[in-house]
Amino acid sequence: MGNPIIFLLLAVVAIGSAIGMLTSHNAVHSALYLVLNFATIGIFYIILNAPFIAMVQITVYAGAIMVLFLFVIMLLGAEQLRGVTDVHGGERFHRAVAGLLAAVLLLASGLLLFQSEASAVTAPMLDTSPTALGLHLFSGYVFPFEVTAVLLLASMIGVVIFGKTKKRGKDA
Amino acid sequence: MPEVTIDWYIALSVILFTIGSLGVLLRRNAIIVFMSVEMMLNSANLAFVAFARYLGDLDGQVLVFFVITVAAAEVAVGLALIVAIFRTKKSINIDDMNLLKG
Amino acid sequence: MNAFGLAPLLLLFPAIGVLFNGLVGRRFVEADAKVGERWSGWIASLMAISSFVVAVLLFISLWTNGFQAMIAPIMDWISIPSANFSVPWAIRVDTLSVTMMLVVTGVGSLIHIYAIGYMHGDPNFSRFFAYFNLFIFFMLILVSGSTYLVLFVGWEGVGLCSFLLISFWFDRTNAAGKAMNADAGRKAFIVNRVGDLGMILAMFLMFWTFRSLEFGAVFSTAVEMFESHHIVEFGLFSAPIGTVITAITALFLLGATGKSAQFPLYVWLPDAMAGPTPVSALIHAATMVTSGIYLIVRSNVLFEIARASGPVIFGVISTPDLVAYVGAFTGLLAGLIAFTQFDIKKVLAYSTVSQLGFMIAAAGMGAYVAAMFHLVTHAFFKALLFLGSGSVIHGMEHGHHHLHELSHAEHGHADHHEDVFDPQDMRTMGGLRHKMPTTFWVYLVGALALAGIPPLAGFWSKDEILAHGNQHAIAVYVVLAIAAVCTAFYMGRQLHMTFFGEPRHAAAEHAQESPALMTTPLVVLAALAVVGGLLNLPYLTESMAEANHHHPGGLFLALEGWLEHSIRSFELTEEGVFALPHTPIVLSPLVAGISTLLALVALGGAFYVYRNKPETAVDPDPLQKIKPLWWFRILPLETFYMKFIVPPFKWLADWLAFAVDWNFWHDFVHNNLIRDMFVSFATFLADVFDKFGVDGTVNGIGSVTKSLAGVLRRTQTGFARTYALGVFLGAVALLAYFLWVLY
Repeated sequence: MGNPIIFLLLAVVAIGSAIGMLTSHNAVHSALYLVLNFATIGIFYIILNAPFIAMVQITVYAGAIMVLFLFVIMLLGAEQLRGVTDVHGGERFHRAVAGLLAAVLLLASGLLLFQSEASAVTAPMLDTSPTALGLHLFSGYVFPFEVTAVLLLASMIGVVIFGKTKKRGKDA
Repeated sequence: MPEVTIDWYIALSVILFTIGSLGVLLRRNAIIVFMSVEMMLNSANLAFVAFARYLGDLDGQVLVFFVITVAAAEVAVGLALIVAIFRTKKSINIDDMNLLKG
Repeated sequence: MNAFGLAPLLLLFPAIGVLFNGLVGRRFVEADAKVGERWSGWIASLMAISSFVVAVLLFISLWTNGFQAMIAPIMDWISIPSANFSVPWAIRVDTLSVTMMLVVTGVGSLIHIYAIGYMHGDPNFSRFFAYFNLFIFFMLILVSGSTYLVLFVGWEGVGLCSFLLISFWFDRTNAAGKAMNADAGRKAFIVNRVGDLGMILAMFLMFWTFRSLEFGAVFSTAVEMFESHHIVEFGLFSAPIGTVITAITALFLLGATGKSAQFPLYVWLPDAMAGPTPVSALIHAATMVTSGIYLIVRSNVLFEIARASGPVIFGVISTPDLVAYVGAFTGLLAGLIAFTQFDIKKVLAYSTVSQLGFMIAAAGMGAYVAAMFHLVTHAFFKALLFLGSGSVIHGMEHGHHHLHELSHAEHGHADHHEDVFDPQDMRTMGGLRHKMPTTFWVYLVGALALAGIPPLAGFWSKDEILAHGNQHAIAVYVVLAIAAVCTAFYMGRQLHMTFFGEPRHAAAEHAQESPALMTTPLVVLAALAVVGGLLNLPYLTESMAEANHHHPGGLFLALEGWLEHSIRSFELTEEGVFALPHTPIVLSPLVAGISTLLALVALGGAFYVYRNKPETAVDPDPLQKIKPLWWFRILPLETFYMKFIVPPFKWLADWLAFAVDWNFWHDFVHNNLIRDMFVSFATFLADVFDKFGVDGTVNGIGSVTKSLAGVLRRTQTGFARTYALGVFLGAVALLAYFLWVLY
C-alpha cells in the first residue's frame, strides 16, 4: 500500500484541495482546486497498482470533465456570480444541520475504523495492465459495458436536444 | 512506522465524501454543487480501487471504469441542463429554482 | 264380505264432487246452460250416490261380520305423547254410524237429483252443488268420526254449509231493502255457535276427566269411574263423577239445542227457509238438524250414568229428564206456532222443530232406538214434504209467470201493476190438486205419515215414542200427545189451504205440474214413507213377543236388533251398572188407538174449520177468531232476542271496536306512543347523531387532513438543497442504525 509518509502528504493535498473547492468564492478557482484533487487521487491510484485507471482518471476526469466545467463556467460568466448573500434563518438552520450530519458521519466512520483490526495488505500484486483489465472486463462485464455504451449514446442525444435553441439569435 | 492499511484509504475516502456532501448542501451555485457531486463519486472510486488492491480482485478497478464513464455522461447532461435553465432564469442560484415549492 | 277398507271412499266421493263443481263446474254451466247443468248436477248426484253405495257395502260388511264395530283409520291428526293426547282421524263403522250414513247419503242422493230440476236456470248452479256436496262431506265426517273431536269438525262444517246454503241468494233483498237471506244465514251460524260453545266446554270437561276423546275409551272409563265412585279433581275444587258427567251431558244438550233447533235456540230454523227448498229438505229436515239427536244417542252411556246419578242440576233434575222436558216443550210450542203460519215452508219448518222435539224427548227418556227410528222415518216424510212444497212453489211461480205473459199479451206493457206476489204464501193457493196431481198425491202421503196415521211410517215411530213415554214419563207423554194432535191439525190445515178448495189467486189457476226430474224423487220418498214402518215394527201381541223371548227377531224390531250393538247402554243394563228404561216391544192398543183417533179427529177438524175459508187471499184466517191461539204467531222469540239479547252485544261490540280498539289502541298506543316514539328517535338520529356525530366526524377528518397538509406543505420548500439535506439525513440515520446494530 505504500509509504505512510507519502500517503499522508498526498492525503493532505487531497483534503486541502477539496476544502479549497468547497470554500472558494470564485467558480474557476473551485474548478482548479478540483482538478488538483483529481490529480492527487490519480497518484493514489498509481500507488494502489492501478495505472490504467489512473490514466483514465487524469484523461477523463481531469481532462475532459473539468474542461467541460470550465467551459460552462466561462459561458455563463459564473465566476462573477456570488449568489444571494442573505443568510436568513432557514439558511443558518440548514447549515447547522448539515454540519451536524457531517460531524456524525465522520465520527461514526472514525469509530468504525479505529475498532477494526485490518492488517497490511496480504494479497499478491495483480497484473493490472490494460490487457489484463480488458480481458477481465470483457469476460465478465460485457453486459454492463454495452449498457454503458447505450447510456453514453443517450446522454449525447440528450445533450444535443438540450442544446437546441428555439429561436436563432434571440437568446444569448 | 505504521503500515498503510486499508483503513487509511477508507478514512480518506470518507473525508472526501463528507466534504463533497457539504458542498452539495451548502453551496448555492449550481456548478459548484455539481463539482461537489463529482468529488463524491471520486471518493467512492478511491475506495473501490483501494479494495481492489487490498482484496486482490480486479473487479474494483472495472467498476471504477464504469463509474467514471457514467460520471462523464452525467456531467454532460447536467451541464447542458444548467445552460438551458440559465437561458430562461438568468441565474444559476439553486435557491432560485424553486418552482417545486408547494 | 269385508268392505271396511272402502270406508275412506265415503268421504272421498263428496270431496271430488266439491272440487269438480267448485273449480270447473262454473265454466261448464256458463258455456252451455243445458248441458253444463247436467254435468254439474249429475256429477254431484253421482258422488252422493257413490257414497250411498259405499254405505250399503259397509252395511253388508257389518251384517256379515257379526255387527262388530270396526275402525278404519285415515291419518293421525293430533298426537301429543307427553299429554297422552291422541286424536286420529278414523272412520268408526258401527251400526249406529252406518244407519246415519245410509240416511244421509240415501235421502241426500234423492234430494240432489231433485235439485237438478229445481235449480234449473239459476246462474250459480255449480256453486250450489259444490256446497251441497261439501255438506254431505261434512255430515259424513260428523257421523263417521271415531272421536268427539272429529265429530265436532263435522259439526262445525255442517254449520258452515248451512250458512252458505241458507244465504245462497245472498244478494236478494226484500221489499224493505234488507238482505234477508244473508241475515238468515248469519242468524243460523251465530245461534249454532252458542250451541257449539256447549260442545267445546263438554269436550274440555271430557278430556280433563277421561283423558281421551275417543268414544270407546270415554265410555269404558266413564263406566269404571262410575262404578268406583271416582272423584274428579279440578285443582280448586273436586266433584264426584256423577256431577261431572251431568255437566258434560248438560253441555251436550246445549249443543244439541243449537243444532237441532230446540227451545230456546230454535229461532234460526224458520228463517232458514229463505234458502232454496232442496236445502231446507236436506239440511233442515233430514240431516243436519238430526246431528243433535245422533250426538245424544251416541253418548247414551254418559246420559244413562247421568240418569243414574240422580237429580244433580240445581238439585232438582237430572240431565236426561231435562232433555226430555226441553224436547217435549219444544214439540208442543212449535206445533202451536205452526198453526199461525201462512208460508208453506214455515209451517214445515216449525213442524220440523216440533218433530225434533219428539226425537230429543225420546232420547231424553232413554228410548234411543225410538229416537233413531223417528229420525229415519222423519227424514223420509219431511224431505218428501219439503220437496213437495218446492214443487208447489215451482208450480205457483210458473203460474205467475204465465199470468204475466197473458196480461202482457192482453193489455200490453201499459197495464203493469206490480202486485207483490209471494209464491210461498198459502193464502194465494188452493185447488192445486187438480193442477198438480202427482205432487198432490205424494204430499198427501207425506202429510198423513207426519200426522201419524197407520200404517204409514210416521205412525210406528211416533207411537213407539208415545208408548215409551206412557210407561216411563207420563208428563212427557201427555205433552207429546197434545203436540201430535197439533201436528195433525196444522197438516190438515196446510193440505186444505194448498190443495183443496178453490184457487184464491190467478197464479194458482195457471199452476203447472213440475218436471219428472223433480217428481220422481218425490215418488221414491213417498214409497219409503209408506213402508218405512217396517224398520222397527213392534210385536203385535204379547204372545209373539214371548215366542221370541222378548228379543228382536224376524220381521219385528229390526232396527232395535241392529242398533243394539252400538248402544252400549243395553249391555250395561244387563250387567247391572245402571237401569236403562226399556221401550215397550209390544204394540199397546191403548196408546196406538188414542193417538190414531186423536189424529183423525184433528185432521177432520182442520178440514171442517177451513172448509170454505178463507175464500180470498186477503180474508182473515178462521183461527184468528181464537185469540189465545193466534198469540202464538208472535211467540217466536224473535222479538225477545232482538230487544233484549242483541242490543247489549251490539253495544259491547261497538264499544270494543271504537273506544278500545280505535281510540285507545289505534290512536293512542299506535299513533302517540309508538309512532311518536319512533319519530322522536328518528329525529334524534337525524339531527343530533347524524348531523353532529357522523357529519362532524367526517368533516372533522377533512379539516384535520387540511391542517395536516398545511403543516406538511412546509416541507415542500422548492429548494433543492433542503431536499438534498433530507436525503443526507436519511442516509446518515441509516448508517447510524446499522452501526448500532453491529456494535
